[in-house]
Amino acid sequence: MSHEPAVAEIRRRLRAPPDRVFSAFAQVEMISRWLTPSPEIKLTVLEFDFRVGGAYRFAYHITGGQVMIVNGTYRSIEPASKIVFTWNIEAPDEHAGLHSQVIIAIMPDGDGCELHIRHERLAQSGAVERHSEGWRGALDQLAALLCSTWAVA
Amino acid sequence: MQQTSALDLTFSALADGTRRSMIRALAGGQTPSAGELGRQFRSAQPTISKHLKVLEEAGLVQRTVEGRVHRFRLRQKPLKEAEQWIARQQAFWTGAVEQLDRLLQGS
Repeated sequence: MSHEPAVAEIRRRLRAPPDRVFSAFAQVEMISRWLTPSPEIKLTVLEFDFRVGGAYRFAYHITGGQVMIVNGTYRSIEPASKIVFTWNIEAPDEHAGLHSQVIIAIMPDGDGCELHIRHERLAQSGAVERHSEGWRGALDQLAALLCSTWAVA
Repeated sequence: MQQTSALDLTFSALADGTRRSMIRALAGGQTPSAGELGRQFRSAQPTISKHLKVLEEAGLVQRTVEGRVHRFRLRQKPLKEAEQWIARQQAFWTGAVEQLDRLLQGS
């Protein structure tokens, strides 16, 4: 744990060109056929809007009738090379409330490509938003106070 | 407004190199005082106290007070939970890429 500890990372060489691997992430009919941790866990795509700012929502049917729902937003898309999206597991999952992001990098390698997936915690995104909300609130109050003071004056 | 999970707090606390070193120093089950930790890390006492407070709020250390001496002990549970999150994502993507490879070969 000498580096940022909240990271899962995998690299894999694939015998397919970068644009085909990219399509597997970009096309809904492809995604539902592979983006699950095992063949027994089926994926139902509830929402899929593959563009920057677009949202997705996936339902995973885990054996025993349990469902895990993941949602997120596409933050960056570079055709055939890079995709970044947020990854939030919805309640009541034990890991709900932890905001993370996934960075997909696809690099050409001979007749195939190398796929690099980095899943990391989104560092204090919530805390940052809370802070800025706090500041906004404080500034609004200050503005209101100044306005009322001026109104009286 | 977003809700901060206990896990988020753990990862926040672990995001700092000094705090990770402090966790390692406690990993053997020792219960040093704040002063002993300060000498070990050659840091000013207020800095050490601040780090200990963050670790305590994240549930990573437990403080016991013996007179004027505050001793600190590592709590394993949040560390284990953090490891489980990483292991879960690792397993998810390993399994998914396995299936992606098969799909690309098959079609």
